[in-house]
Amino acid sequence: MSSKLSLYSWFEHSVRKRLSKWLYRLKGPEPGEAFLNQRRVFIVPSHPGLLFCVMLVALFIASINYNLSLGFALTFLIGGCALIDMHLTFRNLAHLHLAAGRTAPVFAGELAQFELILINRRKYDRFALWLDFVADDRPDLAQAIDVAADTRRSVVLSTPAHERGWLQAPRVRLQTRFPLGLLRAWSYWMPDAKALVYPQPEEDAPPLPYAGAEKSDGQGMAGHDDFAGVRAYQAGDSMKTLAWRQIARLDAESGAPLISKHFEGGAATEIAIDFSLLPAGMDTESKLSRMTRWVLEAEARGLAYAFRLGDTVIPAGLGPAHQDACLQALALYRKT
Amino acid sequence: MKIFGRKSGVNALGRHGARPMSRDKADTLLLLFSCSFALLPHAGHLPIWILPTCAALLLWRGWLTFRGDRMPPRWLLLPIALLAMAGVFITFRTFFGRDAGVSMLTLLLALKLLEMHAKRDLFVALFLSYFLILAGFFYSQSIGTALLTIVAVIAILTTQLSFQYTGAVPPLKQRIRLGATILALAIPVTLVLFLLFPRIQGPLWGLPSDALAGRSGMSDTMTPGNISQLALSDAIAFRVKFNDRVPDKAQLYWRGIVLGEYDGRTWRQLRTRTGASRAPVIGVRGAKTQYQVTLEPHHQRWLYALDVPSALPTLEKNIASFNFELQIMTAEPINDRIRYDAVSHLDYDLHANESPDALRRWLELPPGFNPATLEFSARLRAQAGNGIDIVNASLRVFREQNFRYTLEPPRLGRHTVDDFLFSTRAGFCEHYSSAFVVMMRAAGIPARVVTGYQGGEINPADGFMAVRQSDAHAWAEVWLPNRGWTRVDPTAAVAPNRIEQSLSNVIPRALLGGLITLDGTENRWIAQLARLRQHWEAVNNGWNQWVLNYTPERQKKFLEWFGFEDVDWSTMALLMLALASIAVAAVVVPLLLQQKKRDPLVAVYDSLCNRMARMGFPRLPHEGPRAYCDRLTATESPISPETKTALARFLKLYETVRYGSADDISAGALSQLKSLLAECR
Repeated sequence: MSSKLSLYSWFEHSVRKRLSKWLYRLKGPEPGEAFLNQRRVFIVPSHPGLLFCVMLVALFIASINYNLSLGFALTFLIGGCALIDMHLTFRNLAHLHLAAGRTAPVFAGELAQFELILINRRKYDRFALWLDFVADDRPDLAQAIDVAADTRRSVVLSTPAHERGWLQAPRVRLQTRFPLGLLRAWSYWMPDAKALVYPQPEEDAPPLPYAGAEKSDGQGMAGHDDFAGVRAYQAGDSMKTLAWRQIARLDAESGAPLISKHFEGGAATEIAIDFSLLPAGMDTESKLSRMTRWVLEAEARGLAYAFRLGDTVIPAGLGPAHQDACLQALALYRKT
Repeated sequence: MKIFGRKSGVNALGRHGARPMSRDKADTLLLLFSCSFALLPHAGHLPIWILPTCAALLLWRGWLTFRGDRMPPRWLLLPIALLAMAGVFITFRTFFGRDAGVSMLTLLLALKLLEMHAKRDLFVALFLSYFLILAGFFYSQSIGTALLTIVAVIAILTTQLSFQYTGAVPPLKQRIRLGATILALAIPVTLVLFLLFPRIQGPLWGLPSDALAGRSGMSDTMTPGNISQLALSDAIAFRVKFNDRVPDKAQLYWRGIVLGEYDGRTWRQLRTRTGASRAPVIGVRGAKTQYQVTLEPHHQRWLYALDVPSALPTLEKNIASFNFELQIMTAEPINDRIRYDAVSHLDYDLHANESPDALRRWLELPPGFNPATLEFSARLRAQAGNGIDIVNASLRVFREQNFRYTLEPPRLGRHTVDDFLFSTRAGFCEHYSSAFVVMMRAAGIPARVVTGYQGGEINPADGFMAVRQSDAHAWAEVWLPNRGWTRVDPTAAVAPNRIEQSLSNVIPRALLGGLITLDGTENRWIAQLARLRQHWEAVNNGWNQWVLNYTPERQKKFLEWFGFEDVDWSTMALLMLALASIAVAAVVVPLLLQQKKRDPLVAVYDSLCNRMARMGFPRLPHEGPRAYCDRLTATESPISPETKTALARFLKLYETVRYGSADDISAGALSQLKSLLAECR
């Protein structure tokens, strides 16, 4: 019984999917500028529109019954207004050019933000266009926007990013009821936009792995050899490296900052974030999650770090480009 | 078709961004305004307490909106609603019927405005307003009402679209313009539908008894005073279009009903008819007069026709029949304006051979009334030889004994005819006809009162003859051997010009209680005014003929005029569909033709590439503008140096506009590119 039911529901699902794909001319991602031609814009009466139809019928019957010629005229006039509204609603959406804008990378669990660009090359303003992602369970994320004549406007739509890797923007639904709200015109568009989703950084991750942590400080690996100057204290600096003499010289009342000695040349403070060095018992995603946290933390502390993940080997470095390279590698590890 | 001004659209919103009132408040006040627009026309005819109640509810709503307070809770609104319903019931003793229904509708709308929570409620309020506008047509369908309706619909549309904005809202003026534009665009569709939508003759079910009450016209009885009341009314009773010759004014007796029963004061139709089942016997001579009457609703069961109608008019949804007195009776009251073709003969014999038995009913007089008249008539009879002599002698009495024709006759006592004939000697047509018939009956001549209209005025603007309530008249018919029932108008004996001209010329027109007398012959301005009035009435008649009285019949004639003979409703539906398709195509085809608009920059670049290709230097697929430019302007290329410079400038500019940052692009870049393109040849 249940298998029959599921078979049926599967069948219904697939038929419905095919039907809507055929009916709404659903396409995959459209590179470049998409154009909403009239075949892509659909229009049906809204709920108030259906109520309006009922009212028209009632007005018409009243006009017949009481032989009200002006009643006929009124009925036809507001019926005509609804027809004009249909045209205006359609026109409000049709012939709009669409393009995907920039998309910033996000961490899994956050909202991926897609910038969508609406280009109005017509000589009339468009009002109250509603955009949302189709397979979205959060209708509050829908955005309304006006696009004046011959302008472009961008709107940012969010969708939750659950998984690391590339996140293709879901299908966008554009809707409008302007001007009278009696009809709803809508269209679908799959923007050619992908968001890079980094793994979710691990909460309460262990401290940063200093390369050769097993070795003692004095073995010349820790970069304590060549004194290169002083710099502002950063969290994680060892007490041993504090430049006490310089600290003492500074005025304590002005909230004197701590100052660390800075050494160069050695590799002792170099951090190596290496997939293969993580405990074997952890699963891949947890490992990636921990590495993500470490990358972020090392960046925050301004500590140079080397990165190794599978075939990706990135020498020690610091800065946004370095971080992005590492995070991208983490996001795309074993994803095609 | 440009609806939003380019200049004042969204771009201009910034300037109006600082609105003094929040958007919700402004929208709600606009809604209240449009609803009061729908309510106001009902001020004239609803019970006195309804409108103040609605106004109070609307003001309450306005105050809440203005203050930004919450809506009243249900427990407060429910008793108010029940109270209002009870008020309607107490006033009308029913919830059904036209006036009670309209009262309920107005209260419902006012209360709905206090109970609005979702956007859906907004639509309900606006749709109720449409119903209210329609209900207003029960009371008036004049041109003024139509204009007011258009304004009200624009107000409703403006309100409706104001609620649709999600971003900044354009100024009110612009929204009103959009509403008016929608309405204006809808008018062609309205015209097509109005003219061609297959009409069904109503009513679909029984109308409430008060559906068409309270209009004045000739009543089915005659008491001194009730015709003179009508005499002051300029309202049109009916309009006539003669097919050929218009008869003389003195022959324009529009026969209505025949009154034969008299109780000393009031004349009524005979209740029991001796010859009720018999058809009238009528002999006609001479040419027939054919004409078409457009009768205003008078809520009685008879039609008017020239004395005497010789053929029954056919009506669309009513049945007309002659009764024995040759009245044209209808099965249903005339509650709508109707049009009918009538045929009359002005020269006729009616019941020329009637048995004395059948005539006895027309000799009855109430006992104990008017003794002096009875005595006077007996003397007349003794002196005169035959019936005609008696009639003439009586008319001579009116003519020679200083009788006056006046709209304000002195009051009469119990013996109305005695008082009139022997003391007051002043009266209106009803006095004369009544007195004359009493005299005739007392002298032994069968006689009866006929009421109807006398005269009519051709409107030179459209050729229709207008017969007004002020033309209401009463005259007499006497039965003479071998001649049958003969029309005698005793009023004509007193005021002959009453018959030859019209009443309005006999009675001096006075305004402001007689302070200003209007005499059309002397004052040029008055004459001008009269002409203006004629034109206005012609317009009004056109409105009545073409808009208000656009019946299935008229629709058929209209289509025949276009060469569609014998259309049934399916042909009409097809025709309407065809026209509607044309209307839709007129909108859609330009849309289809107006395909995807290309980026003008790409277009101008493409045309350059095409031009170069024609000259033998096509752009290679892998070449960008710079590489292409380098190749074209290289020293070994055979292009002329001027063209080379133009090409170089063009491609350089194109590259900047296409790929440069926004700061580098000057406003006129596109036109500059176009002029450079012209130089590249």
